[in-house]
Amino acid sequence: MMKVIIDNFSNIFNITLIYATFRSAVPIIFAALCAAITQQADILNIATEGIMLIGGFAAVTVSYFTGSWFLGVLTAMLLGAVIAMIMAVGHIRYNADICGIGMGINLFAVAFTRFLLKAVYNTNGAFSDPSIKPIPRVNIPFIASIPVIGDIFNNWTVTEWFVLILIAFLQFLFYKTVWGLRLRAVGQFPEATKTAGINVTMMKYEAMLISGVVGGLAGAHLSLGYSVQFVDNMTNNRGFMGVAAMYFGGANPILTSIGCLLFGLADSIGNRLQAYGIPSQFVLMMPYIVTVVVLAISMAIKLSTNRRKESSLTTAAVAEEAGS
Amino acid sequence: MERQAAYVCLSLVIEKDEKMDEYVIEMKDIVKNFGTIQAVKNGQFTLKKGEIHSLIGENGAGKSTMMKLLYGMYPIDDGEIFVAGKKVEHLTPKSAISLGIGMVHQEFMLVNELRVVENIILGFEPTKGLTIDFDTARKNIRRYIEQYHLDVQMEKRVSQISVGEAQRVEIIKTLMHGAEIIILDEPTAVLTPQETKGLFRILHNLKEDGKSIVFISHKLNEVMEISDRISVMRQGNYMGTVDRDETSPVDLTKRMIGREVFLNVNRTETTPGEKILDVQDIWVSSHKETSKIRGLSLSVHAGEILGVAGIDGNGQSELVDAITGLRPVEKGKVILNGVDVTNKSPKKIRKAGLAHIPEDRNKRGLNRAMSISDNLSVVGIDENPYSSHMLLNRSAQHENAMEKIKEFDIRPADYTLPASSMSGGNAQKVVVAREVSLGKKLLIASQPTRGVDVGAIETIRNTIDKAKKQGAGVLLVSAELEEIMSLSDRIIVIHDGAITGELTAAEANETTMGLLMMGNAEEAKKEEGEAV
Repeated sequence: MMKVIIDNFSNIFNITLIYATFRSAVPIIFAALCAAITQQADILNIATEGIMLIGGFAAVTVSYFTGSWFLGVLTAMLLGAVIAMIMAVGHIRYNADICGIGMGINLFAVAFTRFLLKAVYNTNGAFSDPSIKPIPRVNIPFIASIPVIGDIFNNWTVTEWFVLILIAFLQFLFYKTVWGLRLRAVGQFPEATKTAGINVTMMKYEAMLISGVVGGLAGAHLSLGYSVQFVDNMTNNRGFMGVAAMYFGGANPILTSIGCLLFGLADSIGNRLQAYGIPSQFVLMMPYIVTVVVLAISMAIKLSTNRRKESSLTTAAVAEEAGS
Repeated sequence: MERQAAYVCLSLVIEKDEKMDEYVIEMKDIVKNFGTIQAVKNGQFTLKKGEIHSLIGENGAGKSTMMKLLYGMYPIDDGEIFVAGKKVEHLTPKSAISLGIGMVHQEFMLVNELRVVENIILGFEPTKGLTIDFDTARKNIRRYIEQYHLDVQMEKRVSQISVGEAQRVEIIKTLMHGAEIIILDEPTAVLTPQETKGLFRILHNLKEDGKSIVFISHKLNEVMEISDRISVMRQGNYMGTVDRDETSPVDLTKRMIGREVFLNVNRTETTPGEKILDVQDIWVSSHKETSKIRGLSLSVHAGEILGVAGIDGNGQSELVDAITGLRPVEKGKVILNGVDVTNKSPKKIRKAGLAHIPEDRNKRGLNRAMSISDNLSVVGIDENPYSSHMLLNRSAQHENAMEKIKEFDIRPADYTLPASSMSGGNAQKVVVAREVSLGKKLLIASQPTRGVDVGAIETIRNTIDKAKKQGAGVLLVSAELEEIMSLSDRIIVIHDGAITGELTAAEANETTMGLLMMGNAEEAKKEEGEAV
């Protein structure tokens, strides 16, 4: 295998790999941001996967029947919000375990979309049709004419540009605004936040709502931007990879997105290797192996920093350094 | 007859009106239950503008609960609360804040991961456009720092500042929220004597400025120093209010405990035997710089109690965790009963001869969801008589439970009830009964009477003394000086994770120990010299 990689190095690692990486990462970034919002309020939104899947189906269906990609995306976001609210009521009001509800949503989503695929389109496995209107791509002739830049930046879908805005917006929201400060306080020490006169329950509902909207958008991008079709279980664990990336980045939007890019890189290298006779099973494994490795490494680093900080054998100055 | 009654009524009403003008807070006939436990049975409290009013009582007397009710943290079950003469209902922390009430909780309500400035403005953030206006926030905070000498470092994270500073952050928080009435729940429990002095200066500044202060405590000397008036509570009941100048510590003690004698614990004189525990130069990690242990040695002999005194958070918990196998020892050795138990599993260490009363009974001492019987027999659950061949022997467990319940007067006496149905004192008696009856060579008792009523304190202290008499070596860790001094044969004082002094029971007095607890070994020596 190493020989294959070395022989075809310039074909695998060339300039187009940058966009390929970004392209495979975007659906995961959306999913990861969906999980990051609730994680800031100390709620693990494991249902990212299910919300995405239902969002993806809704987007394709609305786009197919109305001919409007925009309505499709909007419907997906709305549905995401509805599912998130159902979870929020169960978790916040009735104290149900969030992981239990989340897994329930995930299992429901797979079965329900499979059922609708059969009921609405009378097909098993996949549905694609020329009348599904995809999310448009942004073609900037000026940029396209510049050699390297053009390869990287031209012809992105609207949602691919939007994800950059979303990352920046959430970074700003979390760390610069009143709402963000309160959200982080809710997640870290709800009792203290409550005594400061803040409505902790309301904050949690708000976080869930926004998370649902972003989760729906993740699905819409997957089925109308990343591809133009709906495939049975098409999220293919991207929601869970998003959750993993969120842990990797500590729910910080920028760090989280960097984690997603690692997955994107693994995915696109895998795809290229397939062309050179590497078994597809191995290629399909790549993103998941990377998930495990990335999470293990990031947790190991965290643990050892912590241990060094707490150790009695280090001097105070060293501990301070490890903490900063 | 009727007219007379009407007249009496009228005069009562008038009297009431006059009082209402005088008091900024009035709490009347307050009742509060938590499940089956009556935390407050008959609560009365008044606060005048510009006074420091202490609310005192033993642990569990209901003083904290009373003030949490005033701050709206729980709803009251019965009674009335008046703020500035107006009756208030359905108090929440938010409405309490808007009425000008602020509270500094015993456990600080600060988010460790956030900066000091962020913690202070939380809930009351000044904004500029879409973002938080930190410049204005800092300017506002600086005003309070200067006016009341509330020194804090605004840019540090809360996890990086000292307890005393965190308390000042809490006080600034209440002031920023517009508090005219400030409640402090046992504020000195976590402070060194110097920090306490600093706090008292701040409280005086606040009082001069017209703020009204409620000071919750059970330390009588502090209460006598700071208060204008003092109210006493005992077992959920109001025991009266007195002016500071008209009372004495003895009088307050009587009201707090209901009798003059403190506690009936007699230390037995024994001759120490062989070395049971030998801690050799251990180094132990901690998340807090001041509680890291860097090279500590001690030994405990059979038939003696070694008391470990110190202000909470100076490495006591880490020391106990290291000996009992609950925290890794990074360097050094722990020898128990001649066996090297360094970094062995807790179970192996127990086998080598350890019994352990942990400092937090709810976290490590008990399984609150399981029955009293299970909790009493859990340590030997995998051995005869409690089990054989993987099967439990319920009747042996129950026999043991009945025996212990009788011996230690554990209530409720129904061993099938979950441990959560017991009060703090009875829960602690279950832990003590289980550990002491094992008859192990070493007994570690960590804060054995924390949050326990007076009756149980007596039982527990006598039980520990009895264990020593029967030949066990005892390591007693406590933040209560009085407990350490009344039980120990030898005392070591710990500060910043190191031993600052060792004293015999006869040498120990509060001044010397206080100085050692602050890490001031030299001055303590001088003090000792003067005393001799």
